[in-house]
Amino acid sequence: MTKSPNRMLATIFGAVYLLIGLLGFAVTGGVGFIATKGGLLLGLFEVNPLHNVAHLLIGAALVIAGLSSIRASRTVNSVIGAVYLLLGIVGLFILDSPANILAINGWDNVLHFASAIILLGVGLGADKGRVATA
Amino acid sequence: MSQVTRCWLSFAAIGSGVVHLALVISSPLPLAVPMLVLGLAELIWAVSVLVKDRIVTARLAQIGATAPLILWSLLVVVATMLGTPQIASPLRFVPMAIAAAFELFIAGTIAVYLRRVAAASHPDAAPAPTQTQSAGRYLAAVFVGGLLVGALTTPALAATQAGTVAQEHGGTMGGMMMMDMPGMGHH
Repeated sequence: MTKSPNRMLATIFGAVYLLIGLLGFAVTGGVGFIATKGGLLLGLFEVNPLHNVAHLLIGAALVIAGLSSIRASRTVNSVIGAVYLLLGIVGLFILDSPANILAINGWDNVLHFASAIILLGVGLGADKGRVATA
Repeated sequence: MSQVTRCWLSFAAIGSGVVHLALVISSPLPLAVPMLVLGLAELIWAVSVLVKDRIVTARLAQIGATAPLILWSLLVVVATMLGTPQIASPLRFVPMAIAAAFELFIAGTIAVYLRRVAAASHPDAAPAPTQTQSAGRYLAAVFVGGLLVGALTTPALAATQAGTVAQEHGGTMGGMMMMDMPGMGHH
């Protein structure tokens, strides 16, 4: 695993997102499942229970892929990176609307955007010649 | 060109593309359409560079990175000369300046790359050494690039109309929304 950037990234990011997902439930007591205003995680990132579940699912997918194979981690990194990039862009437009069912705020957009470029960069750019041998 | 440099180029293009897309909201149609096209083109180019493992359409990308800078400069000059700042004000200073920094990085790196390609094609040129690096080192370089682009893009997005809405919904983004920069404007 330490020889593949994709497997290493998927495992590290997956663990972090699992932790964020669990911590999120500590600040979303009494918050509606898809409420547009949630609790603040670390005083910055706004989350609601749906957002926490999404973090847990993404974290689990990344960890499983990272522990499985290069091909799986490349695919999962790229797909989640693309979804985060889309979410980062869409998030800019829905911040103050009823469509904001993930209770996204400005800092969430920054986190989604940073995650997107790192996941996409490694998923699309690394381990190309090694997938066949994974 | 190394894998890390290509990755950083791609990150810069994504950063610039997202900032240009965020500026679409506050721009009138004649500015919004080119901003939308530019932003989407930058995102597509960034992904193409990552997928194809080479600098795609290098000369066109270099022109695409410098043309918006020149056009923005011209727009500001015209607005100043005519005494009509509302012509250029939709393109706020902070996001445009940060996108310009990304574009300059892209244009400069491609210029160096094109020079090296030209030098390598010379009959007397020595073959370029093959570069290999560990996964940890590559990942560290990608993290640095990602964090740098994120750190530069954050104030850029915060200073757009989309970021201003975020102030009402989720705080001041660590005080970045409270910046008083020339040309940034307030609501």
